[in-house]
Amino acid sequence: MIELASVSKVFLGKRTVTALENVDLSISRGEMVSIVGPSGSGKSTLLNLIGGLDTASSGEIEIDGRRLSGLSDDELTRLRRDKIGFIFQFFNLLPTLTCQENVSIPLHLRGWPKKKIEERANELLNLVGLSPRREHLPDELSGGERQRCAIARALSVYPPVLLADEPTGNLDTHTGAEILALIRDLHERLGSTVLIVTHDIHVAESCARLVALRDGRIEEDRAGRLKYGVPGVPIHDPAETH
Amino acid sequence: MILLKLISWPYVRQHLPRWLLTIAGIVLGVAVFVGIHTANQSVVYAFHQTVDRIAGSTQLQISAGETGFDETVLDHVQAVPEVRVAVPVIEAVVSTGVQGQGNLLILGVDMTGDRSLRDYDLESSGADDDIDDPLVFLAQPDSLMVTDTYARENHLGPGAKVPMSTMDGQKLFTIRGIMKSGGLSSAFGGNLAVMDVYAAQKVFGRGRKFDRIDLALKDGANLEDVRAKLKTLLGTGFQVQVPSARAQQFDSISRVYTLTANVTSVFALFIGMFIIYNTFQIAVTQRRTEIGILRALGATRRQIRTLFLGESVVAGLFGSILGLLAGIAIARGMTGYIASLLGEIFGIAQKADEISTNPALMTFAVVLGVITSVVAAVIPARSAARVDPVQALQKGKYQQLSAGENRARRIAALIIAILAAACLLFERYRIFFYVGDALAVLAALLLTPTFALLLARALRPLLRWMRPVEGTLAADSLLQAPRRTSGAVAALMLSLALVVALGGLTRASYDSIFGWLTVALNPDLFVSPSQSLTQRDFRFPESMGAQLRAIPGIGEVQLVRDARIEIQGKPTMFVAADIADLRRHATLPPVAGNTEEMFRLASQGKAVLASENFALLNGFKLGDVVDIPSPSGMLHLPIAGIVTDYSDEQGSLLVDRALYKRFWNDSTVNIFRIYLAPGAAEADVKRRILDTFGNQRRLFVLTNRDVRRYILRLTDQWFGITYVQIAVAVLVAVLGIVNTLTVSITDRRRELGVLQAVGGLRNQVRGTIWLEALAVGTVGLILGLALGALQLYYSLHISAEDMAGLRLRYEYPYPIALWLLPGILLVAFLSAIAPAETAVRGSLVEALEYE
Repeated sequence: MIELASVSKVFLGKRTVTALENVDLSISRGEMVSIVGPSGSGKSTLLNLIGGLDTASSGEIEIDGRRLSGLSDDELTRLRRDKIGFIFQFFNLLPTLTCQENVSIPLHLRGWPKKKIEERANELLNLVGLSPRREHLPDELSGGERQRCAIARALSVYPPVLLADEPTGNLDTHTGAEILALIRDLHERLGSTVLIVTHDIHVAESCARLVALRDGRIEEDRAGRLKYGVPGVPIHDPAETH
Repeated sequence: MILLKLISWPYVRQHLPRWLLTIAGIVLGVAVFVGIHTANQSVVYAFHQTVDRIAGSTQLQISAGETGFDETVLDHVQAVPEVRVAVPVIEAVVSTGVQGQGNLLILGVDMTGDRSLRDYDLESSGADDDIDDPLVFLAQPDSLMVTDTYARENHLGPGAKVPMSTMDGQKLFTIRGIMKSGGLSSAFGGNLAVMDVYAAQKVFGRGRKFDRIDLALKDGANLEDVRAKLKTLLGTGFQVQVPSARAQQFDSISRVYTLTANVTSVFALFIGMFIIYNTFQIAVTQRRTEIGILRALGATRRQIRTLFLGESVVAGLFGSILGLLAGIAIARGMTGYIASLLGEIFGIAQKADEISTNPALMTFAVVLGVITSVVAAVIPARSAARVDPVQALQKGKYQQLSAGENRARRIAALIIAILAAACLLFERYRIFFYVGDALAVLAALLLTPTFALLLARALRPLLRWMRPVEGTLAADSLLQAPRRTSGAVAALMLSLALVVALGGLTRASYDSIFGWLTVALNPDLFVSPSQSLTQRDFRFPESMGAQLRAIPGIGEVQLVRDARIEIQGKPTMFVAADIADLRRHATLPPVAGNTEEMFRLASQGKAVLASENFALLNGFKLGDVVDIPSPSGMLHLPIAGIVTDYSDEQGSLLVDRALYKRFWNDSTVNIFRIYLAPGAAEADVKRRILDTFGNQRRLFVLTNRDVRRYILRLTDQWFGITYVQIAVAVLVAVLGIVNTLTVSITDRRRELGVLQAVGGLRNQVRGTIWLEALAVGTVGLILGLALGALQLYYSLHISAEDMAGLRLRYEYPYPIALWLLPGILLVAFLSAIAPAETAVRGSLVEALEYE
């Protein structure tokens, strides 16, 4: 589903920074993978490259059989539209739009008919348990609800790939656990390939596969150690974090 | 100062394009201010210089408006014991007909006495004559002296023959002297020629009259005493003035023009203020984290306020200096144009090729630019001082520095609007009228955010219907940040209100002038000694009237003499014609008065007819008595009728020719108005006139069509300044939109990034910026067209009562509004192109991380 071959990313400036160096990674359809590493290890850069938000300095990236190198900006956008859903740490909801409108944006951008958009938006809000809040503005929602809304938006066309950048980073522990359970649930029900960038080792260990980065290189690539079968159960013991 | 260096300078460097846009408002305002004033002053200064240089050591000048006076007056003046020397002068401006040389000022003087007043400082004498002997110069009536500049530019040497069109046909003049540079020679930009005064009488058809007497007093004589004595001696029809007073007439005549120019430049600065306000307000919002850090580190509110005000001083200073340089460049381009415009419209020709920069004006412009900038930054600086450091330092938290909409402002606006309406009740006191206008604009400005918000709300469904995502986001951008857009909307509103008001005024003026041309200006042909009808330096003898009447095909000839004379201290156009003749062709009903009665009284020399603009500008009503100074004494004539007449911008008085001849002892004619006999062909009659007089007289035969075209051309030139105002207004509005959008895309960087991340194509992102620009344009357009309707009312009144004296019908300029609709939307769209490109070119990753 996702293939990276010798991918490097170098930021040129007064000081040249190599964010990723010769990274090879292969992720199969339906996998749930966490990417961990200290700050500056290149995990967000990796996610941005896979999501087509940025372009690699060298190497090849393939998403669902489609090579990203050589694609124009609009072609990259179309690929994102159809194959990738994004979940951000700070939700990135548009503050003036209601929950339903936020979820509808990607569908409008595709030019779907109004009725179909409405049906899909309701379906998605139902899926993330946010139907009663459909007419609320982001400001009127709790952190967890905002992230649910963002997840519904990311799922708008049920993309095969879901990329989450610190999805629980801006939430309290309990809400974070809820969101992670939701992502896990959706992953199981929809069969999407999920990549989660996280600082939280418990979130990382709860995924089937864990990829650890350090200084732009893959340091470790192994199976996760924690298994949770029941949604809504905390991923880690709050006492442990203190 | 250190804060400016450490905090402001890095921000400016980082946001250089926006800063340049901000100061562009000041640059434009100061440039227009300096440009128009410098050009205007250069023309006025050139006129003053010419008057001063021609005056030489003249202490007093005697004149009788433009009508001239009999030669005998000179004897009376010379007989006054305190007068050391008194010399006659005839002064006229003629077209040289030489490409690039423009006009030539001809000074007719009596060389025997004149050299004690003026220094002719001649170069070595000519080949065959000795100019040092004035009698030689006098004895030969074809003698001409020119300046060395003129001689050099036209390759003329002593003895050269110069053809000149005189009232007696084409004559050859011989150059018998070349004046050295400096002093008299530099008058009228060096385009000066001197001839004998008696030769000048013939050349210009003056008869036995002089235009002026220049005199100097004996040592010890008191100027004021002699002036009073001469006034008593000559009577009220004469002006006895120091030479500089003549230059003041120029200022008086060009007053309206200067006023209009002032309004344009101040307006440009005023609108520029909104752009600066806008940018500073946004800068405060964007730099709240920085302000929070400074506050946390111990900066006082006062220091923060001073920091922002300091930035505004630097921006104002920088913008003003750039504006100054641009203004001087504008003045260089405009001076010649203004000189010829004033010459054409007011008949006061002036050659002004060089600009005169006035240090006081330059300093004033810089101070004005800085003050404008500081005033615009006061509210944003206050907002900056109010930033709460705790909220500012919280990531993702946005402190609402102002709701952008508040009740207190709406109430204040409402009270001001009521006061503005109340002022209209007392509009006969002009101060109330002007205060009312200012209050109306202020109320509109205070209500701009409210109206902008309401309109943006109303536009949202439409934009959403057009483009569900892009349209909604564009409308929300306006709703979310009213402060960001209200400055640009206010600037656009003011600009468009000005366009509507001036456009409406111009249109109404054109309609009235066109109506008058069609109905009242009905002679078939005009015979004039000059191609320009406002030029009155050449005159025909009365006898030509009879010769014209004898030409087959001519049905009727009207003899018209017009001249500017001083009435109540103001130069006023005085027209003398046979009223009974005029009556036969008068088709336009009077504005006030009974048609039969007014023509009867005026034709008997018992009354005067006043143009409507004369009455309005000078406060005269039907029946009021006008005191008219004539060389034969003061005339007290009642106004028997007020008529529509646009022949002079300052207004005119019409008297019967017989009365004029009697009191001014002047039978010369400026223009013959000719009506053709039934069945006569215009072209045939024109040819016959030229055949009859072509070789003996300098004359031009203009058809009715020519005259209409000429008047409409003058009207176009006059309204040329209106177009400058409109261009400045639109340019400033464009700057406002570009500024707002530049700020908007910075503010919405993350939003636009999200849009792209969830599948928005570049064109869809561009679309939202374009739609935002169109929404700003639409809101500004609606408010501007509405405020314009109000401003048109004020403009028509100001024009009627204080400027041109034209009472024009209120008619909303719908065609202009219809043009503005696509025009402004197109301008708004064009303004959005660059910001939209910036929005799609940035890094998506940075946009999503942007805080």
